[in-house]
Formats: sequence, C-alpha cells, structure tokens
Amino acid sequence: MNDLSKTYFKSCFMGFLLLGLAVSGGLTARGQIVISKPAGEKVAVSLDGLAVGQGEAATLFMRTLRTNLDRSGWLQVTPAARAEVAVSGEVTLRRNQLHVQCRATGTADRRSFMSQSYRHSADDARRLAHRVADDLVKAITGRRGIASTRIVLVGATERARELYICDADGGNFRPLTQDGNIAVRPRWVPTGNALTYTAFLRRFPDVFHVDLDSGERRVLSNHSGLNSGGVISPDGNEMAVILSKDGNPELYVKQLRTGRLTRLTNTPQANEASPSWSPDGREIVYVSDPGGRPHLYIISRDGGRPRRVTTRGTNVSPDWGPNGLIAFSSRIGGQYQIAIMDPRTEQIRYLEAPDGADYEDPSWAPNGRHIACARRQNFRSHIYVLDTAGDPPVRLTTQRGDWYSPAWSPQ
Amino acid sequence: MNKYKCLFMLGLGLMLIFNATGCRRRPAAGPGEDGVGPIGAWDSDQIYGEGLGPRFGEDGQYIEGQFPPVLFPFDSAQIAGEERAKLDDVARYMRRHTNVNMIIEGHTCEVGNREYNLSLGERRALATRAYLVGLGIDGARLQTRSYGQERPAAFGHNEEAWRQNRRSEFVITQ
Repeated sequence: MNDLSKTYFKSCFMGFLLLGLAVSGGLTARGQIVISKPAGEKVAVSLDGLAVGQGEAATLFMRTLRTNLDRSGWLQVTPAARAEVAVSGEVTLRRNQLHVQCRATGTADRRSFMSQSYRHSADDARRLAHRVADDLVKAITGRRGIASTRIVLVGATERARELYICDADGGNFRPLTQDGNIAVRPRWVPTGNALTYTAFLRRFPDVFHVDLDSGERRVLSNHSGLNSGGVISPDGNEMAVILSKDGNPELYVKQLRTGRLTRLTNTPQANEASPSWSPDGREIVYVSDPGGRPHLYIISRDGGRPRRVTTRGTNVSPDWGPNGLIAFSSRIGGQYQIAIMDPRTEQIRYLEAPDGADYEDPSWAPNGRHIACARRQNFRSHIYVLDTAGDPPVRLTTQRGDWYSPAWSPQ
Repeated sequence: MNKYKCLFMLGLGLMLIFNATGCRRRPAAGPGEDGVGPIGAWDSDQIYGEGLGPRFGEDGQYIEGQFPPVLFPFDSAQIAGEERAKLDDVARYMRRHTNVNMIIEGHTCEVGNREYNLSLGERRALATRAYLVGLGIDGARLQTRSYGQERPAAFGHNEEAWRQNRRSEFVITQ
C-alpha cells in the first residue's frame, strides 16, 4: 500500500469511527443527558472535591480511581479550575468497610450527572474504584467503562508457560495456573466467567475449559493429534477449534452439548489456526496458508467457500471485536503491527508504531476502542494497551518476565 | 470414503507431477505398500495424510541422538531431499522393532505467531509421519504431537538456532 492510500484508509476509518461520536451533547438510551465528544477529546473531570479519609485502603481507592478515569479514554482528571465536571463527596474507612459517596456535577450549569453511595470491603478497594470509575464514565459520557474488566495472559519462564490474570489496569496481577506445563493462547467464554485454552496436561495439545468461579478445569477437545484455538461461539453452544485428527490441521465447529463435529475447511495443502467468531456468531475469521504465507479468511459457520480478506504480507491472530472490526497482527516487511479491518469493506488501518518493536496477538476490550496486545522487543514481550482513538500506549505488565497472548474479558 | 479421497488426491498429484515434468525421479522408497503416498516427497506442498489412530496410553522415551531430527525450511512442512535418508533409518528401525510405537514431535523456530506455529509444527509432524507411512510403516504405530515454538532444541535468537529448531523429532513408546 502506498502512503497516499494508507492515509486514505486511515481517514476513511477515522471518518466512520467519528460518525457515531461527533455529537456535542446527546441522549443515552434511557434518556439521560451526557457529554459526547469525538474520540480523542476528553471531558475534564476534577476529583478535588472528594474528601479522602485516613487509611491505606482510601489512598489505594483514590489512586486507582484516578488511573482508571485517565485510562478510560473519555475522561481526563484535571485541577478543579479547568474541570467541566466536578466530582465531590467523601471516601471513608469504617470497620474495614470503604464508604464512598460520589456526586458528579457540571461546573458550568450545575447539572447533576450522578449521585451514588457505595460500600465495599476495604480489602478490595481496587475493585470498588473500578466500579466507581465505570459508573462515572457511563454517567458523564454515556460510554461503557472498562475498569472492571480483566485481562488473562501467558507468562513464560524457561521451563513453563502459565496463565495469569489481572485487572484491566494491570493491578491485582496473579497466576491462574501453576502446572509447570505449556499454556497457549487463552480466550474468554462469552459469559465472562470462564476461559478456553490449549495445554499439554495430558502430554498432548488439548483444549481445556477453566471455570474462574469454581476453579474447575475440564477437557473440551482431546482428539488424536492437535487440538488448539478452541473458542466458544457468542451463543455459548458451539466451539470453533483446530484439529488434525483427520490427517491435517483443519477448522471444525463442535456442538458442545452433543459433541458433534462439523469440518469447515478441507485444505490438504494448508494449515489452519486461530479462529475467532463474528459478534453475531454467523461467521468465523481464521488463519490459513495455502499460498505458503498465513492470511486471514472468513467462512460461514455452516461452511462453504471461505473468503480471503488479506492480500499483503503475513497476517495472523485475528480477534473479531464487539464493534464488528477484526484486529490482527500483520507484517509487511519489517515488524508486526496491529491492524484493524472492517470486514464489510476489507479496508485496513494500521496502528503504526515505528519503534522497532513487534506488536502481536491483539484482543479487543469490550468497549471496542482499546486493544490489549503483546509488544515484543529484543525477544522479550510485555502486555500493552493500545487506544484506537489515539491515546498513547500503556504498558500493563511491569513484572520481570516474558508476557504475551492477552485476552480481554467480555465484561 | 476417506481412503478413496486420499487415493484420488494421490493420483491427481502424480498426474500433475508427471505431466509437468515428464519423468521426475520418484522418492527413494516410492509410495508405500498400502498405497498411501509419502507426503512432502515431491515438490508439491500437498499432504496426503490419513487420519490419526487413537493416542497411545504410555508416554514416550526420547533417546538423545538415537534419531537425528529432520530439519525443515522456514515456514514449510516439506521434507527436503537431503533429510530423507534420516527417515529411511527411522523406517528401518520401526520395521525391525515391531513392538514399539512412535510419537513424532513437530517443532518450529520462534519466528512468527505462537498459535500458528502450533499448527505448522503439527503439519511437520504429519508430513514426517506420512513419509514413514509411505515407506510401509503402519500409521496406527505413529502419533503426532506439535509443540510449536515452545520447546526449542537450540536456545539463542539467531538464524543458526532457528535452523536447528525447525524440526521433527522421534520419541519411542513401548
């Protein structure tokens, strides 16, 4: 793609992104008045009116709230003098309970956006801050916040690759598995309380299901040969999965209730990998390499003729987002970049980061604006959050190590 | 049904190859006795694989240096001419030791996407397996296991390490 057409695609994409956002004041579904601004412009919010009491929990709450508002993409914490919305109230600690009273008021017209009281265990101050942040984002802008969502990822040591989980801001970081085994590419189940991933717990690559509430783990697919890329359909009834039991890696759909398998691809000359469902569950985007290089293909969940949607370079690890756009990792010479495609037009926008690093394994946040990905430089990888509307990237993993394959929770 | 499809594909592949080149030299051992063609043996990228049998109950034993790994070109599951002698040795061993089964492990270098590499490694293992089937080894004795890029033989982030890591290995099970 030459520079001119790249710019064209970029502006096209921004055009359609902004179309839905560029209204100066609007009504939400429930008829509440919010401040709507184009993506990239933020509502200035002051927290100076929040009286913070004694205690570590209250301090942690405030620090988390401030970070979460700043990273929401829609709000910006500023001094009171410049604020369009003033948040006031108090944060107090009483008998190991955090009590938060929170009012959000327009500074120009005294309009009330929100007035809410919260009470939560002080041991979990971060979670309460996430909730208040999401409520403020929703009340002020009408947008869906992401502070309460979570990200699961893989951490590699020399001997093992384990699953880890953290909050969307990188806090509350902890291991999910301690198997001393190899975990590959986790994905969330649409209900948001379980994961699927590939592991070698029975010596071969199988697809497992992990219930995050109960901690229960069970095998979902253990055919002979390869089982990988298992991902549950939006309605929860099916799983798209890559199997090699018939002699070659191919894409299948498995009915979870009956176990019935439908083979969707038949490519003796190619590999399939990394399926991802469209939001309506009618189509699947996946990777295949009949020409020698991996590209993205879209196929109906009922099978039929697949449609190749990328033409240049190497294209892997697609994630079909809730906004209908497919994020993937693309290399056209040089480094892997995160690319975003509208599958209706097949137009591609590249999130260019000319810093010599590889950006891989994108995963959409449920707000359809942010993307978690692995940024690899000098053969070390860290998780970053990218903003498709232009905020600078934020590094999520600060721990030493090698972190990759993030998956952003659907709720 | 599947077998007929395999035979058909094999026939089609042969026709194409002989039409295109007139008289291409056949691989050392030729198509296997059971009629299943070795894969990756010609310049075609086709895999004429048959379905896999059930997994073995026992884990395998890897004996260092017993069989040298079969090496592959970048992003390819095709078995190069100079690697085939290694597979002839493996086939000879399997013919002599009819009581053992084998797990063929497929590996890739660290270049590229991990999940895609899991598929690529599997395809290397399957290509290796199909070549052995083509040499007359019963496919039921040969399982595949892809580790993708997760278990490198050579550490180091350079072309020489990557060359050694694009491989299939042989694990013997009793």
